[in-house]
Amino acid sequence: MPMLRGTLDPLVLKAVSWSPMHAFEITNWIEERSDGHVQIDDGALLQALHRLDDRRYIAGEWGVTENGRRAKYYRITAAGRDYLRTEAARLVDHLGAVVSILSAKTSKSRG
Amino acid sequence: MRFEIRPGVRRLLRFPIRTRTAMKRDADEELEALIACRVEHLVARGMSPDDARAEAIRRLGGSLDQVRQQLHTNADRRERRMRVVESFESVMQDVRYAARGLARRPTFTAVSVLTLAIGVGATTAIFSAVNVLLLRPLPYARPDELMKVSLILPAEGGHPTLTPGFAFPTYTALRNAQRSFNSFAAYTPTQATLTSGDAEHVDGEYVSASYLRTLRLAPERGRDFDPSLDAHVGAPHEVIVSYALWQNRFNADRSIIGHTIDIDREPWTIVGVGPRGFRGLSGQADVFLPVTTVAAELLRPGSSMLSVVARRASGVTALRATEEMSTLGGRLANEFPNQMGKLKWEVHASALDALRIDPLVRRSLLVLFGAAWLVLAIACVNVASLLLGRASARRREIAVRVAIGAGRGRLLRLFLVESLMLALLGGIASAGVAWIGAHVLASVDPAAVFRGPRSDAATIGAVAFSSIALDWQALAFALCTSLVVGLLFGLAPALGSTRASLSDALTSDRTAAGAGVGRRALVVTQVALALVLLVGSGLMVRSLAKLLSVDVGFDASNLITFRLSPQDGSIAPESVPGFYAKMLDRVRAVPGVADAALDSCVPLGRSCRRTSLLRSDLPVPDDIYAKVTGLDVVTPNWFSLMQVRLVRGRSFLPTDRAGGPRVVLLNESAAKTFFGAEDPIGKRISLGRQVKDAEVIGIVGDVRQLPDSAPGPTTYVPSAQSPPEEMIVFVRTMRDAATLGGEIRKAVRDVAPQLPVGDMQTMAQRKGTATARNRFHALLLTAFALAALLLAAIGIYGVLSFAVTARAREIGIRIALGAERASVQRLVIGEGLALVGVGVVIGLAGAFAGARVLRTFLFDLTPSDPVTYATIIVVLGVTAVLASWAPGRRASRVDPVIALRAE
Repeated sequence: MPMLRGTLDPLVLKAVSWSPMHAFEITNWIEERSDGHVQIDDGALLQALHRLDDRRYIAGEWGVTENGRRAKYYRITAAGRDYLRTEAARLVDHLGAVVSILSAKTSKSRG
Repeated sequence: MRFEIRPGVRRLLRFPIRTRTAMKRDADEELEALIACRVEHLVARGMSPDDARAEAIRRLGGSLDQVRQQLHTNADRRERRMRVVESFESVMQDVRYAARGLARRPTFTAVSVLTLAIGVGATTAIFSAVNVLLLRPLPYARPDELMKVSLILPAEGGHPTLTPGFAFPTYTALRNAQRSFNSFAAYTPTQATLTSGDAEHVDGEYVSASYLRTLRLAPERGRDFDPSLDAHVGAPHEVIVSYALWQNRFNADRSIIGHTIDIDREPWTIVGVGPRGFRGLSGQADVFLPVTTVAAELLRPGSSMLSVVARRASGVTALRATEEMSTLGGRLANEFPNQMGKLKWEVHASALDALRIDPLVRRSLLVLFGAAWLVLAIACVNVASLLLGRASARRREIAVRVAIGAGRGRLLRLFLVESLMLALLGGIASAGVAWIGAHVLASVDPAAVFRGPRSDAATIGAVAFSSIALDWQALAFALCTSLVVGLLFGLAPALGSTRASLSDALTSDRTAAGAGVGRRALVVTQVALALVLLVGSGLMVRSLAKLLSVDVGFDASNLITFRLSPQDGSIAPESVPGFYAKMLDRVRAVPGVADAALDSCVPLGRSCRRTSLLRSDLPVPDDIYAKVTGLDVVTPNWFSLMQVRLVRGRSFLPTDRAGGPRVVLLNESAAKTFFGAEDPIGKRISLGRQVKDAEVIGIVGDVRQLPDSAPGPTTYVPSAQSPPEEMIVFVRTMRDAATLGGEIRKAVRDVAPQLPVGDMQTMAQRKGTATARNRFHALLLTAFALAALLLAAIGIYGVLSFAVTARAREIGIRIALGAERASVQRLVIGEGLALVGVGVVIGLAGAFAGARVLRTFLFDLTPSDPVTYATIIVVLGVTAVLASWAPGRRASRVDPVIALRAE
């Protein structure tokens, strides 16, 4: 299923808000949390990371993985946390409304 | 936490920023790492390495190359954006820094801005006048095609080149014969009286019907004259009124076309309203009348009054037109021989543009323009000096900035922004000054200021002073000049100071004294320039003073004059003498009036009649133009009223009547010109066609026609023997003449209710008009000179204040060692005087050269007048002492303890 517009950035920020992560950890974290429902293209993920880095919502730093591989770890900045808070709230409201509309319509057409 | 450095700071301190290639490498590596992680993950779950790699690529959402390309593009874009943001931020930083710096030093800022405002503002105001009056093309379509055609009697023997106008027959002959011009027009200035409603004297022009069409102008309302009017003498009474007259006298009444107004007591039909701003080529016309309506004048054989303007046909060069005119001129000279002498007429054609403005006005403007440039130069020097002082005061700050890694370019940009801000403020202020200046200049009446009484019906210039306005060109001139000055003089010191090394600046204050040398040189330049201006204005003021105190040959106090023109039809010709006698009696009866007399000519007024004088005892000379005399028709009491002294012989008596033996009086210069050492009394002379064989009965003192020119020969004729036409009434009063004007007017109205009283002025007012040009020059040059003096004083003050601050330590030591405080102050003042001294020496050379251009404007004064020079040098000396007084005082109060501890 393709990503909903505007949901990728908050998801990425949410992921790194727990602890610094590198790109693969982020995509894995999102996939696991959604029981495999949300799959992100790796290309798109990297672009999102660079975009967020550019806006100073996250800051990247090279580090070493558990398996001894070099990887860029991203941590969330104070500005990123603010953005995540407002954007997540907005998105939840919005999606809630979408869900309620869609489910209501279905039940009526049946009845 | 990541250590965050603001981009500006990173640039300033030269921290490496991420380059494009570094960012791309980073992205590539990250991409590889992600793929590797996924492969590792999949292999750990039991997938074969090849399958795992294929799956990892599939998960990218595009081919590896595509994704890599996408990331690179993004990296580029991010880098670009970062660069823009960074440079914008740093410029804003510079702007804020510069604004803070300027606000922190309000005196420096105010003085710099004021200096620029005075210098640039004055130059701009004069520039806008020069632009309108001298530079801009004439306000007619295709002005290059327009030529002025003149009749010339070449210079020969004693007399100068004469340019009489065309007579109507010569004009029409030339017009019909020529092929170079497709439009040919004649005009001649005239005076007219509007007699319907309030009588009003106006200037006007008699014009050929082709006049407006030749200039490619069209009436604002109504219609132009019908071209057929030019065909023969005797046109209907039609008039085109000027736009200005329509606005002022007729309140812009749209229904005015077709109405009849009385001009000189005859009805004229208004057929049109002239183009906006057009006052004729004479520059002051309010009514345009067809020239073919003045039949009597036109057909007089000797009449020579028409000026000719013509538009070249397309394809005809100015040279060819000039050649054709001189060929036709030769033919014309044979057809219409010169009746006044043996010389032959010539016809010249020249570009109208060359005659656009009176040469005297042009010269005045150029002198003022030069003066304005001098003020601008002084202002520039001042600003340079101020900025130089500021730069050297900031040497430490700059050195520290350089030491911690600020690039020279970055520092220069800082200075640049600061100079730009200063220049911009100066530019805005100078636009204000220029606006005021342009308004003042636009209100100048060129007829009064430049021509004064000399306006003998020649053109004043086709471009009116009232069209002077601050247009965008002048504004652009002001802004550009300010910017150039600000940048040039702001950057030069900056270039010098950023080159200085840290150790130099931090360890020593001697460098500051070194920078002072440059400023001293600037002050010397300033003083030299100011001297040139001061000498110029000093000469004009001295010349004006001499002019005002010149003996005009009569008593000008308590004297009021006005013009009466009874010949315009309000009084029958035969009753004019009676009218004058009755009027004079009635005026004499006004309380406060001592006496009243008549003269056909007014001193310090418009020029008078001139005619040839022939001695009856000598043969008629070849060229009767060679010696002419002014001709004044006077009542016998005129001489006693004016207190013109009788040198020899007798004055006119009431017994010198019409029909009796004809008598004349000569003034001293006429006696000298025509009789040399001989005694003229008892000799007989003829004057033109009017006075034949009259006896010279006496010699009277010279009366100056103009205060600034030597009196010329004048011959007086008694009014009883020469029927008066237009006359000037002279009234001697027993109290302030100006207060009696109303009473006198009333007295004239009692005798002749319809007759307008023209040009009523006290002799003091006439004197004012006659010296207006000199006062105008003296006033403007003095204003410039005072501005220059003020700027020079600021310069001296600035340099010495700075020097005192920089040398506080040295002064402290002197005082600690027992130097008298007064002697310290003297030291500083002496330094100021030395600066002025050097400036004066240099300036004198310039002044000697520069003052020469003023020669034509000076009255009874050489351009190297020693009194002026001495005065100016004293003035500069006093200025130097005053300007260095305060710094000297500050120096004498230096506390040695503080001064020495400060290091």
